[in-house]
Amino acid sequence: MPAVLAPVSLEEVAVGATARVADVTGDDPTTLRLLEMGLTPGVSVRVVGTAPLGGPLELELRGYRLSIRRHDAARVAIAK
Amino acid sequence: MGEPEGSVRPDGDRPPREPDRGVDDPRRPLVVALVGNPNTGKSTLFTALAGIPTRIGNYPGVTVEEKVGRFAHRGRTIDLVDLPGTYSLVPKSPDEQVVVDVLHGRLPGVPVPDCIVIVADATNLERNCYLATQALALGRPAVVALTLCDAAEEKGISIDAAELGRRLSCPVVPVVAPARQGIEELGDRIIAAVGTSPPPPRGLERHAALVDSRHEPAAREAIARYAWIEELLDGVVQRRPPLRPPLAERIDAVLTHRVWGTLIFAATMLAMFSAIFWLATPLMDWISAGVDAVAGLAESLLPPGAIRALVVDGVLAGVGGVVVFVPQIAMLFLFVAVLEGCGYLSRAAFLMDRLLCGVGLGGKSFIPLLSSFACAIPGIMAARTIENPRDRLLTILVAPLMSCSARLPVYLLLCGAFVPNVPVGLPWLRLPALVLASMYAVGVLAAATVSLVLSRTVFFGPPQPFVMELPGWRWPRPAVVLERAREAVWSFLQNAGTLIVAVSIVIWALSTYPHDTDAIEADVAAGRASLAARLAELPADAPDHEALSVELASLDTEDGLAAARRGAAQRQSLLGRMGRLVEPLVRPLGWDWRLGCAAIASFPAREVVLGTLGVIYNLGDVDPGEEAGASALVRRLRAATWDGTNRRVFTLPVALSIMVFFALCAQCASTLVVIGRETGSWVWPVVTFTYMTVLAWLAAFATYQIGTRLLG
Repeated sequence: MPAVLAPVSLEEVAVGATARVADVTGDDPTTLRLLEMGLTPGVSVRVVGTAPLGGPLELELRGYRLSIRRHDAARVAIAK
Repeated sequence: MGEPEGSVRPDGDRPPREPDRGVDDPRRPLVVALVGNPNTGKSTLFTALAGIPTRIGNYPGVTVEEKVGRFAHRGRTIDLVDLPGTYSLVPKSPDEQVVVDVLHGRLPGVPVPDCIVIVADATNLERNCYLATQALALGRPAVVALTLCDAAEEKGISIDAAELGRRLSCPVVPVVAPARQGIEELGDRIIAAVGTSPPPPRGLERHAALVDSRHEPAAREAIARYAWIEELLDGVVQRRPPLRPPLAERIDAVLTHRVWGTLIFAATMLAMFSAIFWLATPLMDWISAGVDAVAGLAESLLPPGAIRALVVDGVLAGVGGVVVFVPQIAMLFLFVAVLEGCGYLSRAAFLMDRLLCGVGLGGKSFIPLLSSFACAIPGIMAARTIENPRDRLLTILVAPLMSCSARLPVYLLLCGAFVPNVPVGLPWLRLPALVLASMYAVGVLAAATVSLVLSRTVFFGPPQPFVMELPGWRWPRPAVVLERAREAVWSFLQNAGTLIVAVSIVIWALSTYPHDTDAIEADVAAGRASLAARLAELPADAPDHEALSVELASLDTEDGLAAARRGAAQRQSLLGRMGRLVEPLVRPLGWDWRLGCAAIASFPAREVVLGTLGVIYNLGDVDPGEEAGASALVRRLRAATWDGTNRRVFTLPVALSIMVFFALCAQCASTLVVIGRETGSWVWPVVTFTYMTVLAWLAAFATYQIGTRLLG
């Protein structure tokens, strides 16, 4: 087993790192909105920064910046 | 149609329906809908095509803004409908529902568009194509306007518009709206597209077949659509490294930094708030002086009597009370439009989201709530920037709890007069200052609690998506910024202004009638007798002796008698009687019936409570904002006693209970009217008034009871 677990969701990706989306789980309007904003399986996403006090994440994907809350980022699974 | 361009029609006043003419009839105005993602330069394109909107209102049955502009192109009249910005044609908010309904022609009285102009941001084409391909799938005549081409060029993005047009089977026109590049061609393409039925672009089905079938149908469509868009744009969009390292990237790194970003944000908000608070004040003073001058003129022109009183104290006071809000509204919306235009508004929401999330709100609630410290009216109007309807309503409901500038004079007078000026702990921190700060804290705490409770109960529901684009940095367009402020001021004056004037007139009438001269004289005589009796009982060296003798002596002067008559008239009016009626309700707060009266009479605006107290305590019209007026009022309040006793009305617990009550109550008719207008329902002002009054009463009750126990 590796000493540091690889991130499994976008919430765990380090600031500055890039990850590839594997899946977006859930079937509510939030999941659909995440997909509609371009967070679809296969897309590459960079975590640009985070807001203070455990606030939202700033992401870069498809050539633009998107902000999503941490608990919503948890439903975006990352490819190994 | 002889309608002049640039005139704004009031809400609900729709133009008469055009006779049913065919599309080919050049006399019939073409209806063109502008659809696109938020932050794509859609407003700038609207202004470039149609100029100032000829009509702003609401769509029937919803509070979604309808903006229409009329212009002529090559002899055809075109009505351009600016639809709310949306990311998808699968609606998730009332705004998005309207877009879908208008495109399908499902809204009564809103014609099916003859052509759809799809706005696509060239700097962000991939995501913009999501909505664009959905709109093209409708199979209606359409033109794609590729906006922000100059910004795309700077970012090193070049787009083969002709090839994109071939692949989408739809004309694609690159535009730079502020420079009017491509605007003429866009107009030509719109007219050429009308009446055609273009084939919807094909390819989505092929990708949909490849998506994992465990996804919901809507999710599967989204995944397939992006896969298809990647294929559509392959070879159309070329990216080369930008000429210089993008400045926007570096600005963004600082402004959204956890530490620097937060500090810069705090400084920006402080600057904005101070500007609204301090810069608007001289403008508001000029407006008040102007209204006073007109009132003086009316007084000199009209004979004394009921008509003059109606014009001066009812109508003009009401109009003045409306116009006085204009500087704050204009200033706040100028700021908001600049912040929105350059892309900072979303960053602000990003930084503040966590803090407000904790009380059931979102990052976008921050600016409306902050500006409510200056005045709740522009604050509530600024809640328009919140897309999520639940967050927007919740923000509107708690915004009036923020201590606005109108509460400050009440706090200052009572703190100065009744809170002992002693240091607390630190030498420079004195009790009045601490009490003043606590009043602001009381409002914030109440707002946080109410919002938390409501979001967990009445407003409980599935979590709303908070997925927010952080748009690229760009210079705000002056035309768009000015238009935003103009629009806000207009809609306030037209929609809320008339109603606020009406409410002021009603309140004036209630505090003036019935005007029974005999009852007034009897009241004045009774007051004189009670003063004389109290004075006779007091030893000459008692602290109140001098104040009481001055008050008694003033009844023999012309001014003093007139003031006493005014006080008596107010006490005998319907409003005064209501004050006596509510006495059992205000007694537990430590108030006498005069205070109850003053509280009720201050319903139009809480700042009038001091003036009302002046009138009720027979001082006539004092200006509590001026040194002399304030000190006269303080002396009179200090000497005030319960009817028929020597027990003082104003003690420290009573002063605190009054302040707490005014910190939390909804004594501001204008705010309630604006809530009604902004929510499109009279339920919400009633809810706001009820919950705030109950809250204010409970808090004032607790303050008085605890204060009396602790302070004796």
